[in-house]
Amino acid sequence: MNSMIYKKKTPLLLFLIPAFLFLAVYLYYPFFQNVLNTFMSIGGLGRAAEGWNDPWYENYQRLFTDPYMRTAMKNTLLLIVCTVVFQVGIALILALLVDTIRVGAKFFRVVYFFPIVISATALGLMFNLIFLYKGGMVNQLLLALNQLPYEVKSNGKVIVEWLDWKDQAHFLFTMFMPVLWQNVGFYFVIIVTGLNNIPQDIYEAAALDGADGWRRTRYISLPLLRNVLCTCLVLAITGALKVFDLPWVMFGAGMPENQGWLTGTYMYDQTFNKMNVDYGSTIAVVIVVLGVVLSNVANRVFKPSEDI
Amino acid sequence: MKRLLALLLVLVMALSLVACGQSAAPAEESAAPSAGTENTEPAKEPVTLNVVTSYGGDDGNRKNFEAAVKSYEEETGNKVNDGSATSNEEWKAKVLTDFETGSEPDVLFFFTNADAEPFISAGKVVSIDEIRAEYPDYATNMKDSMMAVASDGKQYAVPSSGYWENMFVNKSVLDACGIEVPGPDYTWDQFLADCQTILDNGYTPIACSLVEVPHYWFEFAVMNNGALDNQLEVPTVDADGKLVDDAAAQKWIAALNDLKELYELGYFPKNTLTATDAETVAMFGDGEAAFLIDGSWKVGHFVENYADTLDDYVVSYVPGKGDRSASEAIGGISMGYFITRKAWDDPAKREAAVAFVSHLTSDEVLSTFVTTEVTALVNGAKPSGLNALQQSAADANASITGVVGAVQDTITGEAKGDLFANIQNVVTGKMTAEEAVESAIKLN
Repeated sequence: MNSMIYKKKTPLLLFLIPAFLFLAVYLYYPFFQNVLNTFMSIGGLGRAAEGWNDPWYENYQRLFTDPYMRTAMKNTLLLIVCTVVFQVGIALILALLVDTIRVGAKFFRVVYFFPIVISATALGLMFNLIFLYKGGMVNQLLLALNQLPYEVKSNGKVIVEWLDWKDQAHFLFTMFMPVLWQNVGFYFVIIVTGLNNIPQDIYEAAALDGADGWRRTRYISLPLLRNVLCTCLVLAITGALKVFDLPWVMFGAGMPENQGWLTGTYMYDQTFNKMNVDYGSTIAVVIVVLGVVLSNVANRVFKPSEDI
Repeated sequence: MKRLLALLLVLVMALSLVACGQSAAPAEESAAPSAGTENTEPAKEPVTLNVVTSYGGDDGNRKNFEAAVKSYEEETGNKVNDGSATSNEEWKAKVLTDFETGSEPDVLFFFTNADAEPFISAGKVVSIDEIRAEYPDYATNMKDSMMAVASDGKQYAVPSSGYWENMFVNKSVLDACGIEVPGPDYTWDQFLADCQTILDNGYTPIACSLVEVPHYWFEFAVMNNGALDNQLEVPTVDADGKLVDDAAAQKWIAALNDLKELYELGYFPKNTLTATDAETVAMFGDGEAAFLIDGSWKVGHFVENYADTLDDYVVSYVPGKGDRSASEAIGGISMGYFITRKAWDDPAKREAAVAFVSHLTSDEVLSTFVTTEVTALVNGAKPSGLNALQQSAADANASITGVVGAVQDTITGEAKGDLFANIQNVVTGKMTAEEAVESAIKLN
């Protein structure tokens, strides 16, 4: 039966064409148009181009001289590192721990996965309240623990030096923490699935040989998870490049003092607020190129093993 | 059998694609005949109108708008799809983008100044004259002389209530600091002295988010360095993109430097560069800050959210400097209802849209939106039962000796966005005031 299906390619092609057409119209055509837009002068969304830029590579030149773009790149690369280290790292530790317990494993799977299903906008608003300057949850906690300095004025008024979690000293933590926290569950589920696919008899054989829990993890689980971790790394890198909604809700346009840009938020601001569509398109191209290059590098460094 | 099944599946998929493709066709078909025919049949079936206004979020008139929409729906049987949001630069950009991508609403409540020019010049909204050719009674309760005139000489928007911008003060803070409520002769020097006293007493003098809403302070700072008569003069750049050093440029530069001085003196909130407008307004409302420059729309916010302490808030005067007296303020009628070409060309929606705008701008409904603001109503608005804050606004307005529109409304959105985004750079010394003005005006 199977051989008949594979010999006759026409039905397969017929099934592939609608999806291909859909992608061609809604993904590849806009992408190539976007690349073309980077060489043109476009003063607003939906407006016709006013002509070619002079020189035509003006936007690419600007990328290297734009201080905010440098900030966006720096923050985004830092976010990628944090994503790989903390998001995938914490997900791996949690998955290994949950995999070793017999009771409550399902409960923890649901608990850790739950933040994924909450919209980023809602999370952004929630974390805004948590890190609010006056009366925010964290600051109230610090006040209760006497960790915030205060001054009593001559009129008896108490002035508390609230901690500004969005200032230049703290904004990276305030911005990255919710992003990292939200997506741990995603990688957690992928790794737990990978762990479930490791045959139990390997662990049993290792146990018979006297291997303790740490050795079983070090010499069985981690090597056999290599391909899964590689997938997680690629997803984490490309995912971090696209982060937009949560930082935008919490920090808006580059807060504080234009130090808080990410490539995603800077692209949005240039395109939708500054109406500089061609430059926004150029930043979009950078995001795509970075995604392709970095995920390829990750693939080469953590090359998936064909033996697994 | 397999072949038959495969064929059947392909057929189903193809049909579903065709069905998807045709879903937009009826609207296009229904729109097509109306373009060529003058006699449009009135809508028999209830229709759903897509409406976008700035009466969203915490707007003081949100409840009045909801009530007006409800009464319209009950009277006509039509439904209103309300896409309202809070007015800010992002909202304006979104509205303009919707027009450019063909997803504009049927009725839009929007600014009538330069902000509306992109969709007016693109022919995406219908002029009042064109509407009156079919509906002679349309907007006849309004003074034509008070309707905004677009660059093509036509009027498009039916004006709603006007606005004023002035300084709110929190009396409880002033009382605690032993300061009198400012009068119409309030000067800049008195203001600086009061701010220092307030700061010394442990309060924040000025409630303002310089990163989100610096524009009220910018507007008055410009007037303080110029005069009422030349408020609307905008700086220019020469052919090389260099700022022309004229009086307009000088007053804008001086205005930004005034804001820098206030920032350096510590009169803005400590987190003014990271706080949202809602946070700083809450500071004022909670009795932590003394002064707040805002507009007539903020009165409703305090009435709704600070009913218990409403007597603490008073509408006063922005301190005057140079040729400007504190009794001169910013104001006018800056927004109105537009009917889009898309709705006008849809026979099912034309009458519904006209009825909606007529309802929202009727004497009776508009009076519910108005407390102290000016209107273009021929018979005037009849607000009733003013509370203490509204009465103070009415009293302050009675002492106003001159009103002018906001200069920021005369520059492009791109220039405005750049200018206000750079105010934080100016006050922190990362950019000079000259550089900020030049950068913005290059985009004008």
